[in-house]
Amino acid sequence: MNSNNKAEVVIVGTGVVGVLIAEQLLDAGIPVLMLEAGPRVARAEVVENFRNLPLALKGDPSSCYPPRPWAPHPMPSSENPDDHYLELSGPDKYAQTFIRYAGGSTWHWAGTCWRLTPEDMRLHSLYGVGRDWAFGYDVLEPYYTRVEHQLGICGPSDPALQWPPQRSAPYPMPALPFSPGEQRFTEVVQALGYRNIPTAQARNSGMPYDDRPACCANNNCVPVCPVGAKYDAATALARLEAKGATILTDAVVYRVDTDASNRVEAVNYFDANKVSHRITGKVFVLACNGIETPKLLLMSANSRNPHGLANSSDQVGRNMMDHPQLTMTLTLSEPYWSGVGPVVNSGIMETSQGAFRSEHAGAYFRYNNFARNRFVTFAALKKGLVGQALDEEIRRMTACTADIVLAHEVLPDAENRLTLSSKKDWLGLPRPAIHYDVGDYTRKSAESYSLPIGRKIAEAMGATDVKVSPKFAQSKHIMGGTIMGLDPANSVVDPDCRAHDHDNLYLPGGGAMPSTACGNSTISMAALGLKAADAILRQLQKA
Amino acid sequence: MKRLSNNVTMSRRSLMLTGISILGSYVALSSLPSWAIPAAGSPQLAPFMRLSGLLVNHRLNPAIGARMLEVAAREHTGLDALMNALLALAESKQARKVEDFYADIPAGPQQALAQWIIFAWYTGCSSAKRDATVFTYEEALTYQTTLDVVAIPSYGLSGPNRWSQRTVPLADMPRF
Repeated sequence: MNSNNKAEVVIVGTGVVGVLIAEQLLDAGIPVLMLEAGPRVARAEVVENFRNLPLALKGDPSSCYPPRPWAPHPMPSSENPDDHYLELSGPDKYAQTFIRYAGGSTWHWAGTCWRLTPEDMRLHSLYGVGRDWAFGYDVLEPYYTRVEHQLGICGPSDPALQWPPQRSAPYPMPALPFSPGEQRFTEVVQALGYRNIPTAQARNSGMPYDDRPACCANNNCVPVCPVGAKYDAATALARLEAKGATILTDAVVYRVDTDASNRVEAVNYFDANKVSHRITGKVFVLACNGIETPKLLLMSANSRNPHGLANSSDQVGRNMMDHPQLTMTLTLSEPYWSGVGPVVNSGIMETSQGAFRSEHAGAYFRYNNFARNRFVTFAALKKGLVGQALDEEIRRMTACTADIVLAHEVLPDAENRLTLSSKKDWLGLPRPAIHYDVGDYTRKSAESYSLPIGRKIAEAMGATDVKVSPKFAQSKHIMGGTIMGLDPANSVVDPDCRAHDHDNLYLPGGGAMPSTACGNSTISMAALGLKAADAILRQLQKA
Repeated sequence: MKRLSNNVTMSRRSLMLTGISILGSYVALSSLPSWAIPAAGSPQLAPFMRLSGLLVNHRLNPAIGARMLEVAAREHTGLDALMNALLALAESKQARKVEDFYADIPAGPQQALAQWIIFAWYTGCSSAKRDATVFTYEEALTYQTTLDVVAIPSYGLSGPNRWSQRTVPLADMPRF
């Protein structure tokens, strides 16, 4: 039984990883208490927030999730430039967005679920760069399949269109149809020898699934699916409570305590009134995302762990990774029409693989399927057109412009590091400071590989103008800060995402990933979460 | 005849096809009950909507116009005089649509007001800034120009997996 100060398993974070672990444990009869720093809100509230945003803010996924004072998160469009939540330094800015709300950042993810390939997990063995995973694809594959069925991930049945085709079970739902633009893009790149394949995505395709409705092409997966056709962890919270979970919101965990044997014995949190509470338990899971988890570990330094919990290797907060992306904005001579269907619905993945990875990063190419009106309306109005000419120009620019995104892999680098800033938040807790450089491996890919391919694609699409973003942007796929490995001397967690230093502390999620590949990280984070859940069950049964 | 995506649009289109002019549609809308028009009491609303109807060749919602008027009155000094001047210019040109008189609007405050009104109806906002006042989302005219193909984000377009359609020609502008 749980009380509000004691639980069998304490899970910090109510995002997709924490929620998946909680449900596995609850289904096995293990009581779970979950802590969420931010609030719990209704979907309708977020949708109304979105609709009420000025056009200039519609593209900022954080804007309809205003942070609570006690649980700040990055707000790129409204933060004081001198007072960002994330203190960033280095050649490239690790400018992430995530939200501290019950349900976590899957509220505003696109739902994209590319698995890793076997090769993605063996970068060092195959190409002499980066790190290998502590286990092979064959170990991860069953967890991928479980995630696909747990979240409701749709995808193609034709192995030629699957990424990767090594699968033990079909997707639970078929792939979603392409928009006119995606269809045309697919045909164009096919002529160049590339396959644009359907995105595996956590979105209900043609049918309800898991008590959620089918996707009806609202084209608003980011920042919020208005009907819950896209999986987000918030959709699971009521079900978890029905199974017996206790979920405390507006509860900011600020310190994890260890006992004399260096096992974790409690977490401490502040409520919204800055009152401190302590919760003890047998097993603890920190699934607060790849920034907040290492931050909390560093904040929890004590006499037995002077550099922070789980940090005898000095790797906590190091190896911060993402998928650095460049965007090509194209003006096209013919209409493509984006904005029909989900916002991300296809991609070229094969360009992420190859022997070239010994020299430079791979890249994944994506035709963004966001409705273009918000991107083009101001520009059309600036032209001074009125009446019919203005209508025609908005329609032309909406149909005849497109964004192609080039997402790259990065290598783990210990210098890409999260530390605790001297600046404090509303509760007096340190803010994250992050130094970041995408590195030569990624820069070389952009220069000699991805951009040349991108320009070839642009030309084949009939682009009359190509604008490339001047700098790498972040994909908001936070990885690496609690990196996995077999050697406790250079890694934070073991193959089950259990901290090397504390045998009842699990740190599952993107932070554990030793390589990024090019595809979005959530499905791998979730698979690691399920693997950790199995390990927790074994540990509790053994105890 | 082009199939449009919802009954509301069809209804508006039918109205258009019966030959109601922009000015006429304003008169029809202005006869809505007062509870439907939050600022119906403002003597400025009628000229503001009349001017809007001349600057924007589409049917416009006076309730949204009332919201715009509040900001216009704050941001455009001498709003009444500017509106009167623009309306007089349109009348002198016997204008029935924006193309009939827009080029003759003198640079300066009159042109700035005309541009602002057009901007507001198309974007649904008072400016391109992040702190702009929002007048409408769903009825911002930018979305009406592509409503036969593209969803207004967060609103549905069709049934489950029914959006796999052919590319739509640019020339088939929706009527709105």
